[in-house]
Amino acid sequence: MIRYILRRLLWVVFLLFAVSLITFVIFYLLPSADPAALRAGRQPNPALVESIRHQLGLDQPWYVQYGRYMKNLVFHFDFGFSYQNGVPVRQLIFSRLPASISLAAGAAVLWLVVGIGVGVIAAVRPRTKLDRASMGLALVGISAPVYWLGLVALYLFSADIGLIPILPGANSYVPLSEDPAAWFTSLIMPWCVLAVSFAAFYSRLLRGNLTEVLSEDYIRTARAKGLSERRVVFRHGLRSAITPIVTIFGLDLGILLGGAILTETVFNIPGIGRLSYASIVRSDLPVIQGTVLLGAFFIVFANLLVDIFYAFLDPRVRYQ
Amino acid sequence: MKPIRVCSAALLALLVSLTVAACGSSDSSSEAPAKVGAVPTEQSLTGKTGGKLTVIASSDVDYIDPGAAYYQFTFMVTYATQRPLYSFGPDDAIDAVPDLATQAPDVSSDGKTVTVKIKPDVKFSPPVNRAATSADVKYAVERAFLPTVGNGYAGAYFGDIIGVQEFQDGKAKEISGIDTPDDTTIVFNLSRGSGGVVAGALALPISAPVPQEYAAKFDAKNPSTYGMNQVATGPYMIEADADGAVTGYEPGKKIDLVRNPNWDSATDYRKAYLDTINVEEGNEDTTVASRQILSGTAQVNGDFGPPPPVLKQVVGSTPDQLALTPSGGLRYVALNTTMAPFDNLDVRKAVLAVFDREAMRATRGGPLLGPIANHFIPPEMGGFDEAGGLTGTGVDFLKYPKGNLALAKEYMKKGGFPSGLYTGTEDLLMVGTSGGVAQKSAEVAAAQLEKLGFKPKLRLVTQDAMYTKFCSVPKAKVIICPNVGWLKDFADPQTILDPTFNGQNIVDVNNSNWPQLNVEAINSAMDKAALVVGADARNQAWADIDRQVTAQAPAVPWIWDDTANIRSVDVVGVINKFNGNWDLSFTSLK
Repeated sequence: MIRYILRRLLWVVFLLFAVSLITFVIFYLLPSADPAALRAGRQPNPALVESIRHQLGLDQPWYVQYGRYMKNLVFHFDFGFSYQNGVPVRQLIFSRLPASISLAAGAAVLWLVVGIGVGVIAAVRPRTKLDRASMGLALVGISAPVYWLGLVALYLFSADIGLIPILPGANSYVPLSEDPAAWFTSLIMPWCVLAVSFAAFYSRLLRGNLTEVLSEDYIRTARAKGLSERRVVFRHGLRSAITPIVTIFGLDLGILLGGAILTETVFNIPGIGRLSYASIVRSDLPVIQGTVLLGAFFIVFANLLVDIFYAFLDPRVRYQ
Repeated sequence: MKPIRVCSAALLALLVSLTVAACGSSDSSSEAPAKVGAVPTEQSLTGKTGGKLTVIASSDVDYIDPGAAYYQFTFMVTYATQRPLYSFGPDDAIDAVPDLATQAPDVSSDGKTVTVKIKPDVKFSPPVNRAATSADVKYAVERAFLPTVGNGYAGAYFGDIIGVQEFQDGKAKEISGIDTPDDTTIVFNLSRGSGGVVAGALALPISAPVPQEYAAKFDAKNPSTYGMNQVATGPYMIEADADGAVTGYEPGKKIDLVRNPNWDSATDYRKAYLDTINVEEGNEDTTVASRQILSGTAQVNGDFGPPPPVLKQVVGSTPDQLALTPSGGLRYVALNTTMAPFDNLDVRKAVLAVFDREAMRATRGGPLLGPIANHFIPPEMGGFDEAGGLTGTGVDFLKYPKGNLALAKEYMKKGGFPSGLYTGTEDLLMVGTSGGVAQKSAEVAAAQLEKLGFKPKLRLVTQDAMYTKFCSVPKAKVIICPNVGWLKDFADPQTILDPTFNGQNIVDVNNSNWPQLNVEAINSAMDKAALVVGADARNQAWADIDRQVTAQAPAVPWIWDDTANIRSVDVVGVINKFNGNWDLSFTSLK
């Protein structure tokens, strides 16, 4: 197992290098803005533009720039400075990470609880009204774009512009360290909005899997042995049916930890997603690189954790 | 001088004063700007002292460093925290008032020397805590020329100071042409008689003092970190720790202003009613943000204008919460005068003649958002009236706001196209801004060109890419730039016309002369006008140039933007007409 984990960790490193390289190349191939020209302002002396280009190292071939960037990153954990505001990228990322983690973690709890709960209920009561209603609602949840859903929620429930003003709306995020109660209430609506589509998808997926598993021979055997229905469903059925959910959950959570761009934008939560978006718009390569690497790290690391977790969840994987 | 930045869903960024989005579009043919919200000025103040104001912004300032700051939204913060030699009171966009200075600048008769006396008792905020001197102003100007600071206008306005080149080349440690004979006197010695415009530019944040002994270590870094360690001379400062490190600014998140403990109201004309000002950034959805302001308390908008539905609603229901102000800028469609077919003057005139500029204006909101532009110097600028005012310079090809196809065809015939229509088959590269109102404007512009048989190939990119990769790069060979515009830096007409139509200002990168107009008579007239001293004479000289430029039809001017600002009902908002935005030093709460 340790050898397996080490091998996977090496792959993580390789993948991060590959992602950083691809990001760099894309930045040079696409018609993004000229960072030196942007940094120099609107009516600069041409010499100033070239001077800034030199100072930022943008007059070097892309592979030289890339090599320098990776060297600083690997040996000093230095992501460089934002072209836009001169602030260290590491500082920018770490100042925003708590907001993204808060959003993603809270929403994940919500969608797991709701998704699994609804999925199980629908699976053990197939073709009932409850099943059809929950799956129908799930379809709506999957189909509703997060951005739209967020706006609808704001116009319905936010304390400042909502028809039923019961929850803090956009621009109300408070860090956990400042005021835990305000942090919690400010995130209720974003959590719900972000969790809707995930919960809907998970419930439909789990319902299908669990329905299939519950018709397996070993489930019939378990029932024949006289086990309670609850024990059959949760101990034997759910444990087997949930493995695809675990895989997807790992990836989804990894992606969201790298920034939930739409939700963060609608609710003005200062997280990684909004930082990524702003940096892309401003062609701020060091920040783009930093956020992309962070997102990639979360995804591959979450994937690794999922694979390891699999071994404990499913004995067949361990035996292989 | 700066190009107008158009609000895409993203950036917005930074479009500040001219970011006023469209609002439906029942166009009328009225030429006068519709005025809905009264423009509140200092005289209308009824607020109290104290309290907290929240400024809702969609994006960040361009630079927190006052030496690099260059956009209206940034100026909104900078003029509350810094005291340049001169600045603008809320109700006068044309004449600056002494701020750090004691009186108007003394410009020598040959325009080669500008002398300013400064107040002796304006103190820096902690941790510097001493009075600002002329040496601090000198250092502020010098550091603006450092590549680590990257000021975008220093070269344009202060490049004539003797010794600038040597300083930039690293051959001199200071700019020899700036003298500080004593702590309260600063003298700018110029290589030519451009003192008139230098005196005007002293109202920009570049002249706000910076203490060298404190700032030099930050300026030595690449990029300079002085912005994150800045000290203030204005009534407010960005919240900072005891060492001066800024704690109240988080890029893209917030700017927290608190009172500067060393500010002495006796030395300043600012009122500074508020105790704290919180700028909350990142409100990308300007509809939600606008509604929050209108229904909330103690809030004003920062870098965006209310979008069309909200603007309509405000106009109809709560006009008192809206203020419309001439921005001092304009938008136009630039035609590349160096490339066929627009290297032909008659063809350009035909394009201007056919353009339905009312349709263009409708994309931004119709008459409410400003009058149709008929020349290039905007309203509330020196030279505007002299150049023809709202009516225009009299050229026939700008006489018809809805366009005149027959007249356009006549010009096409004169230009060598007997059918009155363009017969070339090539695609004309047109690069516009993707998304939002800007994209609509670009699409309408393309439709206008098609009326005469042109085949514009519209390519839409982000606004920054549009400028820095295409329209501002002559070798990109873009033929039509539909989303460009220009905003004054101060009320001198040179700031509008020189960077945008002087052939000598065509550069390889960040070129602002988008039509690449290079007419010797105009260039030479601009050279002469730049040396004129005295407001009236300068206005007339530049108005004459405006007429010359307009006659060359290098671009289709289509709107002199008004800026729309909104506030909560309990805010006694005061607009600074120079900056086209709320004046944080005069705004208060009820």
